[in-house]
Amino acid sequence: MSDQMHVRTGHDLAPGEEEQHSVGERVLGYVVGLGLALVLTATSFFIAGTDLVWQPSIPVALIVLAIAQMGVHLVFFLHITTGPDNTNNVLALAFGLLVVFLVVGGTVWIMGHLNANMPPMDQIMPMRK
Amino acid sequence: MLGKLDWSAIPFDQPIPLVAGAVVLVAILAVLIWVVVKGHLPYLWHEWITSVDHKRIGVMYILLASVMLLRGGSDAIMMRLQQAVAYQSQGYLPPEHYNQIFSAHGTIMIFFTAMPFVIGLMNLIVPLQLGVRDVAFPTLNSVGFWLTATGALLVNISLVVGEFARTGWLAFPPLSELSYSPGVGVDYYAWSLQISGVGTLVAGINLVTTVLKLRTKGMNYLRMPMFCWTTLASNLLIVAAFPILTATLAMLLLDRYLGFHFFTNEAGGNVMMFMNLIWAWGHPEVYILVLPAFGIFSEVVSTFSGKALFGYRSMVLATMAICVISFMVWLHHFFTMGAGPDVNAIFGIASMIIAIPTGVKIYNWLFTMYGGRIRFATPMLWAVGFMVTFIIGGLTGVLVAVPPADFMLHNSMFLVAHFHNVIIGGVLFGAFAGFEYWFPKAFGFRLDERWGKAAFWFTFLGFYVTFIPLYVAGMLGMTRRMQHYDVAAWRPWMFVAAAGMAVLSIGVICQIVQLVVSIRNREALRDRTGDPWDGRSLEWATSSPPPVFNFAFHPDVRGEDAYWDMKAAAQQQSLDHAAPEYHDIEMPRNSPTGFICAFFATIMGFALIWHIWWMVILGGIGAFATFVVFAWRDHDEYVIPAAEVAAIDRINLEERRSLVSMAGAL
Repeated sequence: MSDQMHVRTGHDLAPGEEEQHSVGERVLGYVVGLGLALVLTATSFFIAGTDLVWQPSIPVALIVLAIAQMGVHLVFFLHITTGPDNTNNVLALAFGLLVVFLVVGGTVWIMGHLNANMPPMDQIMPMRK
Repeated sequence: MLGKLDWSAIPFDQPIPLVAGAVVLVAILAVLIWVVVKGHLPYLWHEWITSVDHKRIGVMYILLASVMLLRGGSDAIMMRLQQAVAYQSQGYLPPEHYNQIFSAHGTIMIFFTAMPFVIGLMNLIVPLQLGVRDVAFPTLNSVGFWLTATGALLVNISLVVGEFARTGWLAFPPLSELSYSPGVGVDYYAWSLQISGVGTLVAGINLVTTVLKLRTKGMNYLRMPMFCWTTLASNLLIVAAFPILTATLAMLLLDRYLGFHFFTNEAGGNVMMFMNLIWAWGHPEVYILVLPAFGIFSEVVSTFSGKALFGYRSMVLATMAICVISFMVWLHHFFTMGAGPDVNAIFGIASMIIAIPTGVKIYNWLFTMYGGRIRFATPMLWAVGFMVTFIIGGLTGVLVAVPPADFMLHNSMFLVAHFHNVIIGGVLFGAFAGFEYWFPKAFGFRLDERWGKAAFWFTFLGFYVTFIPLYVAGMLGMTRRMQHYDVAAWRPWMFVAAAGMAVLSIGVICQIVQLVVSIRNREALRDRTGDPWDGRSLEWATSSPPPVFNFAFHPDVRGEDAYWDMKAAAQQQSLDHAAPEYHDIEMPRNSPTGFICAFFATIMGFALIWHIWWMVILGGIGAFATFVVFAWRDHDEYVIPAAEVAAIDRINLEERRSLVSMAGAL
């Protein structure tokens, strides 16, 4: 099998396979990623308990922090970049996101309409009165 | 000690499953004794059971699918006979047995016939078409196959030990919940699908990685044969959709085993959520099955028309469009559930839109044939038969995609006729076309054409005689899954359908006879060049059957239809006779990991069904230990010396050169 490794077409490398970086650079990348992840986590916990900001903005802030956290994981730990060697991984991520969006969003939409059209019997009875 | 298992699990009062089970058991024992006495056991163990060669695994997948096709087919014959006789009477099948038969028929035909057949063909051919020596994860491939076999085994054990689900092939709650199905039937269903589902997911990951990462020199995406593209799309769908099935069945199992309330009637359970989730998997599933069939037809039509595929890029685009849109239509399976006009309209329109890329494909195949020099060999007959049949099935599909029409036709025999129309006419015809087309590649000899054509015509006509009456019965208001009925107007159509079933069965017998006749005449049918059909893609560039390493050299691809270009170039240059320089080749070692893992998975599955907890732990530990042992292996590859590679390759090279020089002389 090892000999097939050399006939790979183009430049698409799997995550964790990039050879152009030295060990020091890679360690630095992980340390920066870990630091950012910790900062974002700590901020989330701080925001959730604080009364420094307007209260209704807290859920929005938490969502923003969570998305930033995902971004940090993707960039520093899963090594998703915009480089030409990463097309497969970016496309796979996009396809995964699309499917999750369609299935979760579709389910919420369908079940919401079902709930509105066909409530359980004990909820229909009061409506008729 | 043995959980719920005791002698009452064996249905002594029901002669049909008992006799069938006894016959199968005797047949299996006879084969086993023959294998041991004749001394074939070491050969089977070393060359097949422990093999990690993608070609061997592909052949085993197809063998499993063929055996299960016969099992599912016998269920179909029993159902057709029951409905032919059960007019104002109970027929010959009691209701609880009839319900098990239609549930087993659907489960077996989708999960253990159609799926293994297409996965087997993809395994067998895709690495050859890509010009590489194996799939990305050879041992994982073997694990995937054997876990699928475990699922099939568990479903068939239910014939004799206990019972199978009486809930239909998707086990809708609340019927499948403990309060309405207290027996082991639903557990047999759910655990066999959970175990074989792991196998399918593994196969999907493996084939996606193979297409994305292992391609020979110059084989960029837009030079890949169409079958590789449809394989990529189909396996992307497997990776995205099968986890939904696993999670949904896991929730049903939690309800049944640990008293959860995901889908129960009481305590806040929501049965509609099950329909929603199971069809979010179920609709992509039909495209998982039919996309590879589209790929097979693309290869067959182009080869037997002697032309490059018309509209290659539009075909790629249509395939990937279907791949994405297939995740946007699942609600059309439950229009009548009450989501309301807004939701129904959107999903109805999306369902009609998905017919467009499929229509693009039909036109592309027709234009490929147009002006071509068409040879009506057996694979081409299946392809043409598919086009006619699939258009009818597709049009009735667009009809039921209209929500108001669906309210009339939902759960009727019209629907049964529609999906058999697309699954038999699409997937099964595709599987048979692929079987006839690639059989010489897998075994080194062609199949008998006369019996093949007979099989096609009987199956083709038998299909229409069986299923057109079901459309009519559906229009007359007949619902599906009826054990008996009292409406006189339906009866003639049930008689015609039963007669059609007889014609279909003759088609199946013809196919078996074809196999026997071809094996006996194999010397006369031998394919020495490796290119029996004047093929266009790389699988025909190596010998039949291919050596274990597939290609002595990595083919250098310069365009679409790689092998066709090579043949054309060879004729122009009157062949260079320079002796090529051979190198050592490393190949993965065979491994019993898959077989042993599936052995323990079978024990674990059976124990889970019957609540034998100590055996569950035993099976679980065994399966995990197998993985650990495999992970700590020292030698995973062996070397084929250059001299041996040269010896194997030169024989085929000579045959090919003599063929090309003959063609040049003409």
